[in-house]
Amino acid sequence: MRPLLALLLLQAFSVTLVHAKEQLLEVVVAEPYLEMRSGPGRGYPVVYVVGRDEVVTVLYSRTEWYKVRAPRGQEGWSRRSDLALTKLVSGEPAPIPPYPDFATHRWEIGAGYGVFNHQNLVTTWGDFGLTDSLDVEFVLQQALGTIDNRYIASLGMRHTFIPEWRWFSPTAGIGFGEQYIDDKVPPKPLQTSNQLAYVSVGARGFITRRFMWRADWRKYVVFTNQNQNEEPEEWKFGLAVFF
Amino acid sequence: MEIRLSSVLLAAALLSGCGWFHRGEKAKTEVVAEEPQGEPSIIEPQVNRRAVKTPKIKAKDFELGGYFGALSIQDFGTNPIYGVRAAYHVSEDIFLEAFLARSKAGTTSLEDVFPAITVVSDSGRRLTYYDLDVGYNVLPGEIFLGRGHAFNSALYVTVGMGDVKFADKDRFALNFGMGERLLITDWLAMHLDVRDHVFETDLTGRTKNVHNIEATLGLTFFY
Repeated sequence: MRPLLALLLLQAFSVTLVHAKEQLLEVVVAEPYLEMRSGPGRGYPVVYVVGRDEVVTVLYSRTEWYKVRAPRGQEGWSRRSDLALTKLVSGEPAPIPPYPDFATHRWEIGAGYGVFNHQNLVTTWGDFGLTDSLDVEFVLQQALGTIDNRYIASLGMRHTFIPEWRWFSPTAGIGFGEQYIDDKVPPKPLQTSNQLAYVSVGARGFITRRFMWRADWRKYVVFTNQNQNEEPEEWKFGLAVFF
Repeated sequence: MEIRLSSVLLAAALLSGCGWFHRGEKAKTEVVAEEPQGEPSIIEPQVNRRAVKTPKIKAKDFELGGYFGALSIQDFGTNPIYGVRAAYHVSEDIFLEAFLARSKAGTTSLEDVFPAITVVSDSGRRLTYYDLDVGYNVLPGEIFLGRGHAFNSALYVTVGMGDVKFADKDRFALNFGMGERLLITDWLAMHLDVRDHVFETDLTGRTKNVHNIEATLGLTFFY
């Protein structure tokens, strides 16, 4: 047992070793100099400066900052916009990815607060953009009331009108889902899980790079096995990031 | 000389004829057309274009870790709490964070004085919560330790909401917090947090908002 464990540990260690040897991007400073700060933020002091034609190694990024290593081993944080002006050794511009564009982004995750049928609602969502104006949205939410506690999962399509508007773009959507009711107060509900469908109207806007808000109003039809279907309403507001 | 020239011409004519028959194989005809006009080369250079792959830059915007500390559950005493946290840093100022934690409530003073009374069943004393927060780094900076050490740090505020399950009941809860993140290295951070979870309950008679303050110490890794 013990040799096996040692072998496993050794293997794990060798994997990390190989991992450490992973090739890193090297860029040449093309501007007069490149500033390196002590931390990934605008307030941190410049602790080192790399001159033109010197090669720096890019280690990793955090938000808009990149950790770089100077030729003589000093490490620090450089701004994305500064690093984007460097070149590859071959002379081509360095492949520093640009900011994702708000109008054409692909992935989005978000969370927010809402009200579902007079109950507090915690909502989270994931979004995938098929085109600039058509998304698939997957929403997971929990409505917490005094009488019941329900979970709602839904999948739908959403259309964004005028996606190139930065501050405000109206949206409309349609979809279906499932709810699960966990009653707080006995007696148990007649049905603990129902299928549902919805239509929605809403809006979205961008606050800063990669950060956006969304507001949404939904009308549901909850399919029950009684004479009447339920028709609850919901509104919510949330914040999201996109990739 | 003449013979050579005519043979070259003949070869070219033949090749172009072949080209006519193999119209589909466009690339081949082009290769022939590109050959220098003088002598046809006998050895075709076989140089494979080297695929230059520029290494990708790893983004380390995610933070993952755990924490433990003390949670004061209003009317139920102060008790140990432990949980996990995950954060995503959107910009150098803003981050989104999720928490999942559990604790166990003690007894109320009523239960202490009158042991026959139970306000909450034993299984109901288990408290679990999840929170979704948005945070803002209010005071980013550095902390100096002695002469030779400087650690990056940030004082942040968070606000969010979630679900607190206590006394076998799920409740909507708001939370407000403040914390200090100290980066031991660029990928390892220590957190000191104080947060207040506010929710409505009627466990001790009348309905009221209760404040449940926790103080925790955490460790997170950046991915």
